[in-house]
Amino acid sequence: MIHRWIWRLLPWVPAVIALLAWWAWFAIDRPPASVMPSAFAVIATMADLAFGGRLPGDILASMARLLGGSALGIVTGMAAGFVAGLNRPIADFMNPLVVFFNAISGIVWLPLVIGWLGIGSPLAIFLIWNTVFFIIFQNTVLGVQLVPEVLELGVQSLGGSRWETIRSVTLPGALPYILSGIRSGLGFGWRALIAAELVGATTGLGQLIFSGAEYHRADIIVGGCLLIGAIAMAMDRWLLLPIEKRTVIRWGLVATGQGR
Amino acid sequence: MADKIEVSGFRHFFRTEIGSVQATGTIDLSIKAGEFVTLVGPSGCGKTTLLKAIAGFLTPSEGNILCDGIPVRGPGRERGVVFQELAILPWRTVRRNIGHGLEIARVPKAEREATVARLIGLMGLGGFEDRYPHELSGGMRQRVAVARTWAADPEVILMDEPFAAVDAMTRLTLQEELGRLCAATRKTVFFITHSVDEAVFLADRVLVMTRRPGTIKAELEIPRSASGGRDWDSFTSDPLMQKIAGDVMHLVHAERV
Repeated sequence: MIHRWIWRLLPWVPAVIALLAWWAWFAIDRPPASVMPSAFAVIATMADLAFGGRLPGDILASMARLLGGSALGIVTGMAAGFVAGLNRPIADFMNPLVVFFNAISGIVWLPLVIGWLGIGSPLAIFLIWNTVFFIIFQNTVLGVQLVPEVLELGVQSLGGSRWETIRSVTLPGALPYILSGIRSGLGFGWRALIAAELVGATTGLGQLIFSGAEYHRADIIVGGCLLIGAIAMAMDRWLLLPIEKRTVIRWGLVATGQGR
Repeated sequence: MADKIEVSGFRHFFRTEIGSVQATGTIDLSIKAGEFVTLVGPSGCGKTTLLKAIAGFLTPSEGNILCDGIPVRGPGRERGVVFQELAILPWRTVRRNIGHGLEIARVPKAEREATVARLIGLMGLGGFEDRYPHELSGGMRQRVAVARTWAADPEVILMDEPFAAVDAMTRLTLQEELGRLCAATRKTVFFITHSVDEAVFLADRVLVMTRRPGTIKAELEIPRSASGGRDWDSFTSDPLMQKIAGDVMHLVHAERV
């Protein structure tokens, strides 16, 4: 019983230690506010920005771009990944292209794409897509190729067509890899989003942090970072984990270590 | 009775990086409708290659395979397969795995459920309908695999060492259950094994293969009682069955690698 509670509380331990260290540093060293703000200053500033400030609009703008760009990246990455995973010649054709474009970071695209799309959401969405697509693509190809052939043969000898085999075998079989791709894709999507918003947008959490940097407001920078991390954690827990619990965990495809 | 499966002049080679490897010698065989034929041979003799060719998973290098007089050109629902490894879908419950073939054939829901319920009863899977395969024992999973193939109602059932990965005690039960299932449904079955007892216990006719590249070296008819019943108690106490099993063991033993 006690054992169980310890495990449940464990995820909070790093946060508590960080807060204590933060507080202790301030009590002993008293750094200037432009270098490191106090926890209270961060909370006060974020509360100010949240109530009647720009924060709600920034969060909404950033999340809309992240979800839009990621959705686009997931759909196109899965589609291309299935085509390549199911056809050896197409995979051979696409792989060098993917390696080539994957090596070119979003920041490199930024000046070019500003010229094409202007400043705003389309630019941010393009840069997120550019990050998420490759991760989803490569995970999907791997997932499709690792589905045991015997499962496909089994469905074919039940009379299943190629489409039925893809629908009832390949798609669920590749799902653990696709979901793992979505998890890392969303993380890298956040990174691309903030980079895009630093220069390529007038709203969003990236812009908020950038304006904090311009005015030497470390409280805004730290507050913005904490918020990004918290939103990412919330999305993982309430968006991705429920999908996993209903699919790959329910089917016994990934070991959770729970209830064993 | 007409021949359900006819294999003539079959020979297969695998292409590898170091050249071509002969998997089987020339094989001719025919299986009558409703017959249970077992094929026993040493490992690597090419028996799985032969089964895969009949299933339509590979194209023979030489020879012809006919099912009901029609050349085999790929897998089809008239030839069901039970594999040695776990081939049921981990993301479908027992019920939905067994009903999958009927779903594909667009059988109406009520009829589908009746068939699934009958097979769940026959295979002793009652109470596990809504479980996923990872929640079942190895023996249970293989029962689901057998039931899934039977539910799709194929003309011919091909079984590739289906009980090899199951523990010895469960295997005896599964063999008896398969015997009952066959007596109840009169399917044409082609069953591959490396166990002599299993081959003689289940078969109407036993084929013995040589070592690689395998050919069929002997063929034995197994006399069945009128009821067609198969159980291990009467099998082990029947001197005639024991004599046949001894003869087959002799034939197989000579081929050990």
